[in-house]
Amino acid sequence: MQRHHYSAVVLLSVGLIVSGIASADFLSMYKADALHPSASLTKSGMLSDYVPALKGTNGDTRVYYYESGNPGATILLLGGTHPNESAGFIAATVLVENAHVAKGRLIVVPQACASGFTVTDPLEGCPTHFTVAAQSGPRTFRFGARGGNPLHQWPDPLVYRHFPSGQQLSGMESRNLNRSYPGRENGSFMEKVGYAFVQMIKKEKVDIAFDLHEAAPEVMIINAIITHEKGSDIGASAVLNLEFEDLKYSLEISPKNFHGLSHREWGDSTDVVPFLMETSNPIQGRMRGITNEKLILEGQDPFYRIAAQLGTVRITYELDGEPLSLRVARHLQGFRRVVEAYNEAHPEKTAIVENVPEYLSVVKQGVGNFLR
Amino acid sequence: MQFELVILLSMLIVFAAGVFWLKLPAGVAMAAASVVGALVGGQGIPIRHLVEGTFGYLDAVLIIATAMIFMKIVEATGALGTISYGMIKSLYRFPTLLMILVAFFVMFPGMLTGLSSACILTTGALVAPALVGMGIPAVSVGAFIAVMAVFGMIAPPINIPVMIIGGGVDMPYVGFEKPLIFLTFPLAIVTALYVRVRFIRKIDVNDILDKLPKSVYAKHGMKLFLPLFVVIGLMVGIRVAPDFVPDIGIPLIFMIGAVIGIWTGERVEVISVVRNAIRESLPVLGILVGVGMFVQIMTLTGVRGYLAVSALQLPAALLYLGIAVIMPAMGSAYAASSVIGVPLVFVFLGRNEIVVTSALSLIAGIGDLMPPPSLLCVFAAQLLGIKNHFTVLKAAIVPILVALIFGIVTIIYAADIGSMLK
Repeated sequence: MQRHHYSAVVLLSVGLIVSGIASADFLSMYKADALHPSASLTKSGMLSDYVPALKGTNGDTRVYYYESGNPGATILLLGGTHPNESAGFIAATVLVENAHVAKGRLIVVPQACASGFTVTDPLEGCPTHFTVAAQSGPRTFRFGARGGNPLHQWPDPLVYRHFPSGQQLSGMESRNLNRSYPGRENGSFMEKVGYAFVQMIKKEKVDIAFDLHEAAPEVMIINAIITHEKGSDIGASAVLNLEFEDLKYSLEISPKNFHGLSHREWGDSTDVVPFLMETSNPIQGRMRGITNEKLILEGQDPFYRIAAQLGTVRITYELDGEPLSLRVARHLQGFRRVVEAYNEAHPEKTAIVENVPEYLSVVKQGVGNFLR
Repeated sequence: MQFELVILLSMLIVFAAGVFWLKLPAGVAMAAASVVGALVGGQGIPIRHLVEGTFGYLDAVLIIATAMIFMKIVEATGALGTISYGMIKSLYRFPTLLMILVAFFVMFPGMLTGLSSACILTTGALVAPALVGMGIPAVSVGAFIAVMAVFGMIAPPINIPVMIIGGGVDMPYVGFEKPLIFLTFPLAIVTALYVRVRFIRKIDVNDILDKLPKSVYAKHGMKLFLPLFVVIGLMVGIRVAPDFVPDIGIPLIFMIGAVIGIWTGERVEVISVVRNAIRESLPVLGILVGVGMFVQIMTLTGVRGYLAVSALQLPAALLYLGIAVIMPAMGSAYAASSVIGVPLVFVFLGRNEIVVTSALSLIAGIGDLMPPPSLLCVFAAQLLGIKNHFTVLKAAIVPILVALIFGIVTIIYAADIGSMLK
């Protein structure tokens, strides 16, 4: 063997070792998060029950049904549409593990974009997992990517054309579940997932639906409730009631020319009244400092503190941080008030969900106290 | 000194030492700088992050590798030389018109695909021999093509930096055509005229044609250009008739073009041509892999956030200067759009956001020319056989400055320009 052959062998060996170590980390993201539903759970199913083509794919995800047996409205709540927006996923998990439905039905999908929980976004330096001190001890959850895993839908087109509007978006949005609605049965992997949720809404005759999100502190629609025009009165009533509790929310009406989003397409293509809620999450922001698990849990970032004080850009960031417990508490309280407002607007068909932790309890005791 | 600045400086010092002192390939130096940055930042050697970063530009890596194979095949068939020959022969009497047409011809693939590198690797490669033949120095030809590639990426109908910024601020990609034409077409014409006036004197057409590869059109006919028609046809078809032409991805388009090219002209030694193409593109591919690691570690350690928030901390008087310096300094149009472009749209709320975003995309686009990766300069240097790609960047300074000033002025007067373009 010549000298360069030895170099090649050494470099290939190093490459194999590095790949092996990294692969173990990447593969750990395929291990499902363990959820412990409350005793009120009636049944659980899969998203593929609505579109069988998803069965056995990485787009399939667990669906939890809570049925009171008393006629009333059906509520759907999605967490984890964007798996890097942990408060949505954890708020949905809190509902799965605590909720009791006294009237109507509640359907919860904590990890709507299951594919996105198996990967993190390159160049973002994010952790793969975070650990919450729960009632039973430490519980580890996955922190995923904004979109689906490229291994499940690849390559991205340079330009993504939304179906059916034809609206053009950057190619990476083709893996974004919240740009894929209403989806299509024979479309791309993510369009099929979006289509399945729309079929679920139709088949289950869902009356009111929630899609829980988070966004970077510099984004305009933070601490907001966004709804289709048909939910404007309910949204306004909920926001007013939240104001009485000193919880600031802005009410935004879904733009008619911005397609693919749940608050637009669910409302346009089904009878449901959709609501999307956003909290402020520094780990998604472009100005964040060190990117780690602590930032997910405590939400304290020195650069956002500076940016918020500067006032150059509108930054929605509490100077003490935006901890996960606070963000989850906001989602739960927003959910509670919107459902109440819906009940007021539709007294003939109401839903009552009990055991939803109170805002102050979650903030003071920590979200872990509401996870089994 | 802010600790993130210490991390950044340590990374830059290691990168510079690797390239200039140890003579390492730039990609390897970036990988080393990333490891050092992680160590200084207290992250140990985060293998998962380093590996994940290498995937940040995977699509670009595949596009470049396949585009190089395509171009080398088309060159070997004689099609490239024939086009250069024909272009000079038919338009040498009208050099001003020739330069303007060449400018838009180079921009064309970028306008359709949104990719700056596509301009250099396709139409840029077609015109380069002709421009050199007309007496323009090779570094200036490289600079001209690289700058046109930026304008092509920014010009409508497809502008990915705008889409990235729009995704961050929930702004649909609607109504950008006029502002993007306003920002790019005049700059392209001015740059073409600058090159025309500065370099093209009396044209001795016979002398130029003697230096170029001979036309093989008489021997092969239109069949010679079939791979080009197929590649351009598929790229255009995906955009204008998406219901009929499936989006098979740019790498596959180039591979289809390359395979067709094997039988359309002069005999091609396929194995040798493909091996050369990959060998020549490896340094560039290495840079992209290294840049991915570099950016991932910058983000992980907080350096990226430090740069973004530093831009916002600039006093109002320096804000525009800061934008013109910091956005291109991100070294990538996409990174600059995502990291700094999004917050800046909020800074300028109340002006015409579509015009502001368009102008920011132009300034971000200059990032593709800038170090550390200097991607477009590296491509252009490779195309023209120039060893030091920084000479290409140096030759591009005038059009870069003009573009930056034009972009900043457009932001300042965005509201008025928006009204004017209605």
